[in-house]
Amino acid sequence: MIRITFLTACVVAALSLSGCKLVKNTPDDEKAVAADASGDDARTDQRIADTFEPTLLPFVREKALEVPVLRSLLSRGLDAAGQAHGNRGAGQGAAWNFALTGTGTVVSAKLDTRARVADLDTDADGVADLTIQLGPVIRGTALRDFAPFYKFDDFRDQIEFAKLGRALNDRISGAIVLPEGDLIGRTMTFTGVVALKSADEVLVMTPISVGVTP
Amino acid sequence: MNIKRRLLITVMALSVFGAASGMAASADTIAIITPSHDNPFFKAEADGAQAKAKELGYDTMVLVHDDDANKQSQLIDTAVAAGVKAIILDNAGADASVAAVQKAKDAGIPSFLIDREITATGVAVSQIVSNNYQGAQLGAEEFVKLMGESGEYAELLGKESDTNAGIRSKGYHDVIDQYPDLKMVAQQTANWSQTEAYTVMESMLQANTGIKGVISGNDTMAMGAWAALEAAGRTDVIVVGFDGSNDVRDSILAGGIKATVLQPAYQQAQLAVTQADQYLKTGSTGLDEKQLMDCVLINGDNAAKLETFALSN
Repeated sequence: MIRITFLTACVVAALSLSGCKLVKNTPDDEKAVAADASGDDARTDQRIADTFEPTLLPFVREKALEVPVLRSLLSRGLDAAGQAHGNRGAGQGAAWNFALTGTGTVVSAKLDTRARVADLDTDADGVADLTIQLGPVIRGTALRDFAPFYKFDDFRDQIEFAKLGRALNDRISGAIVLPEGDLIGRTMTFTGVVALKSADEVLVMTPISVGVTP
Repeated sequence: MNIKRRLLITVMALSVFGAASGMAASADTIAIITPSHDNPFFKAEADGAQAKAKELGYDTMVLVHDDDANKQSQLIDTAVAAGVKAIILDNAGADASVAAVQKAKDAGIPSFLIDREITATGVAVSQIVSNNYQGAQLGAEEFVKLMGESGEYAELLGKESDTNAGIRSKGYHDVIDQYPDLKMVAQQTANWSQTEAYTVMESMLQANTGIKGVISGNDTMAMGAWAALEAAGRTDVIVVGFDGSNDVRDSILAGGIKATVLQPAYQQAQLAVTQADQYLKTGSTGLDEKQLMDCVLINGDNAAKLETFALSN
């Protein structure tokens, strides 16, 4: 009697196992994102789709300060400026990130590199005071770290967290179009994010938009 | 065998404990468990934690698990049995350590993890880990600059079982692979080992005479590679390491290895003890469980300020 019950249980178990296999092959289940590292890219794509245009870009535009305003805030201390207008990246030693917008004259530019940059004079004293990254290689994680809605605790690990930073930079990099010829002397409008670890370091911007005139 | 080993460990641990608590028998004890102190990085962690614990009035029980998850499990038992109030742990494997930390938690002992993550949250109170990926990106950016964005290079990989080996390699390639004129002609593990890196570098050089740079997963391998390059008269080759060891600092200052990336091991361990103290006193650290610590690029500009995995201002 016990044996029969046991056999029945086995048969039921076997049947339900094969049932599982059938379910696994339905299209719905194939869309499920793996919880391990193999699902990183899918999760990153989803995050970009959910947040880049709908949330991140408006957030940067809304929070963007004029360069002189940031300078003045920084003169009273980086932490105070950051707490009022910035966001800090995850963890100890991370930079404060600020959104900036404005216009400047290109004083110098380095375009014969994969990590192109233009140095701008934004206060008309003839001296460069802001460096804008123009890609295709964009360094750092300023865009990710400026957004308080990307929290490290929500990520599987530091690799997945880093992948989002890279994906955001790549989105920007793909959108930057520079005019032909020399940039020096031309006017550049910009909106973007700078990361600062100290109040007196060079401002290096990851832009969300740049425009060149004439 | 197993029982004998366990007894031996227990005896060793108790003697450490006994010696530490001999001074002030009433003080609470914090256990500090790391991989072997043979690697100065882990020694710096243990020293940092111990110094901070002492400063805050705790006794310490310092133990090493030698990257053996079974041994780690036994050490946790030992610490729990000895009645420690908190455990500072640089763990012996992201998956294998979850159960050990859970065991301590079940016994009412909070754990504060440093250096390496575990694959579960809600088990440890804090996980303070170096941002190895960010650090690798920093090292790679410097490497790319030193290479002038072009040329043939080789990569020395760390021990495959250590998650940080993979994280660093991925961080390197995240940056370097964006430069199509940089060509990786050789990639091989040297298992974090200096001597192994020496022989691997020798054979890499024989097979690829055009190598212009070497990017290494840690400093001990960078030291081995540099020795092989010197022996072959190839001191023109650009070498970049990772960890921020005093050996590589000295090499940078002498014009050998070009750069490394500091993991602030000493400070990280101190931070873990501070959080443990806060948690024991108030029941909360007031911080997220998972905390990243940024790494810092070390090159000729700041190498002189580096001492035992800490950068002075």
